Amino acid sequence: MNVLKVPARTIAVFVLPCLLIYIGLVFVPIIVSVYDSTLNWDGINTAKHIGIDNFKTMFAHDANFWPAVRHTLMYAVFSMLEIPICLFVAALMNRYVKKANTLVSIYFVPVILSTVIIGQLWKTVYNPAEMGGMLNGILNSIGLDSWTRSWLTEPKIAMYCLYVVSLWQYFGYHLLIQFTGVQNIPQEVYEAAKIDGAEGFKSDWYITYPMAVPIFKISIVLAFIGSLQSFDLVWVMTGGGPAHATDTIATLMYTSSFSSNQYGYGSAIATFLVVMCLVVTVIINAVFKKVEAKYS
Amino acid sequence: MVKKSTKTAAIALTAATLLLGATACGSKNNDNNTNTGNAGTNAGTNAGTNAGTNAGASDEKVTINFQNIYPDPATPSYKMLHAIVDQYQKDHPNVKIELESMNTDQQKLKLKTQAASNTVPDITIVNPSAQLQPYLKVLAPLNDMIDKNGLKDTFQKGLLDYYSADGNTYALPDGNNIEVVYYNKDLFAQAGITAPPTTFDEFLADVKALRAKNITPIAEGEKDSWTGSFLFMNILLRTNNGPGFLKDVNDGKKTFKDPAFIEAVTAMQDLIQAKAFEEGATSIDYNTGGNIFKTGKAAMMIMGTWETGAVDSSAVGPKVGVFKFPTVNGKGDPDEFMLAPGSAFAVSANSKHLQATKDFLNYFMTEMPKKQFELKNAVGSGQIITGDFKAAGYSQLAQDVLEMFKSQKGGDIAFDNTMKPAIAQAHLSSIQNMFVQKVDPAAVAAEHQSAFDANK
Amino acid sequence: MKAISKWVVYLLLAILVITQIYPLFWLVLYSLKTNDQILGGSFFSMPTTPQWANYKAAYTSGHYLQYLGNSVLVTCVTLLCVIVFSSMVAYAISRFKWKYGPVVTLIFLMGMMIPMSATLLPLMVIFKNIHILDTRWALILPYIAFSTPISVFILSGFMRGIPAEIEESAFMDGASVYRIFRSIILPVSVPPIMTVIILTFITIWNEYIMAATFISSEKLKTLPFGIYTFVSQYNVNYGAIGAFLILGALPVLLVYFILSERITKGMVAGAVKG
Repeated sequence: MNVLKVPARTIAVFVLPCLLIYIGLVFVPIIVSVYDSTLNWDGINTAKHIGIDNFKTMFAHDANFWPAVRHTLMYAVFSMLEIPICLFVAALMNRYVKKANTLVSIYFVPVILSTVIIGQLWKTVYNPAEMGGMLNGILNSIGLDSWTRSWLTEPKIAMYCLYVVSLWQYFGYHLLIQFTGVQNIPQEVYEAAKIDGAEGFKSDWYITYPMAVPIFKISIVLAFIGSLQSFDLVWVMTGGGPAHATDTIATLMYTSSFSSNQYGYGSAIATFLVVMCLVVTVIINAVFKKVEAKYS
Repeated sequence: MVKKSTKTAAIALTAATLLLGATACGSKNNDNNTNTGNAGTNAGTNAGTNAGTNAGASDEKVTINFQNIYPDPATPSYKMLHAIVDQYQKDHPNVKIELESMNTDQQKLKLKTQAASNTVPDITIVNPSAQLQPYLKVLAPLNDMIDKNGLKDTFQKGLLDYYSADGNTYALPDGNNIEVVYYNKDLFAQAGITAPPTTFDEFLADVKALRAKNITPIAEGEKDSWTGSFLFMNILLRTNNGPGFLKDVNDGKKTFKDPAFIEAVTAMQDLIQAKAFEEGATSIDYNTGGNIFKTGKAAMMIMGTWETGAVDSSAVGPKVGVFKFPTVNGKGDPDEFMLAPGSAFAVSANSKHLQATKDFLNYFMTEMPKKQFELKNAVGSGQIITGDFKAAGYSQLAQDVLEMFKSQKGGDIAFDNTMKPAIAQAHLSSIQNMFVQKVDPAAVAAEHQSAFDANK
Repeated sequence: MKAISKWVVYLLLAILVITQIYPLFWLVLYSLKTNDQILGGSFFSMPTTPQWANYKAAYTSGHYLQYLGNSVLVTCVTLLCVIVFSSMVAYAISRFKWKYGPVVTLIFLMGMMIPMSATLLPLMVIFKNIHILDTRWALILPYIAFSTPISVFILSGFMRGIPAEIEESAFMDGASVYRIFRSIILPVSVPPIMTVIILTFITIWNEYIMAATFISSEKLKTLPFGIYTFVSQYNVNYGAIGAFLILGALPVLLVYFILSERITKGMVAGAVKG
């Protein structure tokens, strides 16, 4: 990496306009939220300072908190597991399909559509058979009646059903990013490898995957952060229910702040979310530094 | 050269930043200009055209922001709102009513942020009792206004109490409903049920008879969770032998571990275990749930009377009858109902045109019952309507419902209108949980009590 | 052997095409049904008689054209600012040597993790104090602020990978940093910029919570408002919502498919130069 030495004024010109907007509208509010997390406040009337009581409640007394953290982390893990598959498909497409970009565009369609419609669509998939649910209908017609169930309302499986929808929706998103990475690998490298006898899956293994590591990392970080903030889809499909069985940190924060009128407590959850994101991102970065060092 | 282009770029950027800032400021200044400008230049120009029906009306040009929850032009509420607003603007050319229509959830969220930042619009929408409490500080008392033109007396007796605190009335409701059981006569006949149940045991037997014929007994949109709570509270109203259970809890006279509460949970559980509700009810939202009944796929719907119009105009409309929620274990009076005082119009304490806003709202509330009656939207009106419903072409179902209103001897209001929001959330989730797994009624009671103790 | 694996791959890709494109088809059917059919009908059911009235309702009651205009305006201004600002910041943190570089990088990185709904209330207060509530800036500014972190992240990652030789020789020739940025770095960065455009576009095109909170005037409302026109307290007009979603998604699909061609071209160009 080359480093230009430029006068401070130039740096200011490059960085300040963006930094100011960003600090004023993202950073300051979140600092305010961290402050709010020390209040017993309904968001409207006079607030009372209660120190770290909100955090104590959150960690020790709120029976819905840790399950929500678990759901959120599982969400993240599943989303990240999807990315190797996307990379694999991207490599396949690069090798077998001539006009692959059209295909990528088609796979991207669910990302463009509003979550409202994705949620409605998948509800018709998961609905009970008597309401025309597709999945149960199929199970019935192939004689697996005993497998049918009310997918979105059984506390033990509802969350998994949501993961599936999310994986489906963001498949195209990560495929696009991975495909960009794969396409950016210079053709000469493959040609050189061909001379050495590496072709097909072998060349994927030795060239495509290692060279895609930086882009792979982008996807991992995006998937992770995206799933930690997972809100819309859960909200549309189950609203966090039944009885908090599908709550994520983001939905719990929303209901605490705006339905239960415990704005201070909601802010504490938001603070936790940001800190958790930060820690995991640092971990991901450290891991990838090692991986990148190994391959370059 | 480096230096020169540095400078140029710096200037360009500064200019851009300034422009951004200037535009932002510009829009602010424009707002100010229009406001002050209007006040200055238009004063007096409308004197001739002003109809002057209201004593307090002046010729000052005023804009009233009216936040409301009637966004859909296809609904009667929208038509009512626009008809009255249009008429008022015609009569008062100096008054402009800016309507901001949005859906209920969004309005609740927005009002919260507006209350926190002191930007509540001139007229907004609030909910009764416990849900009104947090907002008292930002709302203007309407005592003087409801005394004008006899508006106060148009409301049903006692209704305004739900919107009052410390002797002040803060909001005026758009309706007042009761919870009833709508039932599909054809489906009842198919299951061999001859008469609507009057006791809970009969009710349970009917549920089982319907299930035996593969008919979904009750349609319930339990994703929204207040729906199940609304039904549960009706059972509690019976097992408690009358209204006031939650009030007693709030006053420290009873706890959630009271036998009446546990009996209600047990009855609710019996209902759920008898498969009274459609499969997967907790993932079904309010509208979809209602539609299961309205398309003839379920035999009953236990809901507020605001549904009457929609049931009437649905495919099953002519086959639908209505009955009062039965007694439970011999307890309770069927003429006591779950009461649902409606969303209500309130005025911001910080309104720039407080008097003009009150004058308008007075007119609006005076006209509303008439317009609702014309639009056949008057079942569940919070105001006294003297018109002849039968002559006006209201359906038999509507008339039956209106009869129940007449026999009504009081009752309870919803859980979230009685308890603090945090307790209400715990309650809603606890009841929703009963739909997906069998629970120990004592545990449900304990859950309620600990939520209550934590948020007293 | 080779031919077989080729067909297996094609089959796999074809199945994916069906599952990913089906929602669009489903949405079209949805938008032509009555409420009863939508709520009671099964997954594959066809509308009995196409309800074109849904589209009429979406177009007139949903104020389609007006909201579309607002959405386009807000989106375009936001996109322009995001591209300019975030590519400048990305260049600065990936190339300049300065003391606070790592700190600024970290600050921007953190921004990706901040949930929008946690900032709603503080933002309301800020906007009230700088008097931009109920103006387009109340949407554009937070949209820019929330889009830059991810854009900076993507762009700086790409810019770090651009070989330094070209810049060095240009610098030797006396070209300014601004000139290098404008005529060397930006053109090379077209592919990641395209990615940034798409990601930002879809986020703000469908954004509703902020819009509903900060905008009150009818004349400033954006497309997602149209959907919620049809959601009343006890009544939802699903068909009209479906129709409105189609109308709302149309421009996005259009822009996307036009851009997606350019992305590939841009990507190849980037790859060659890279």
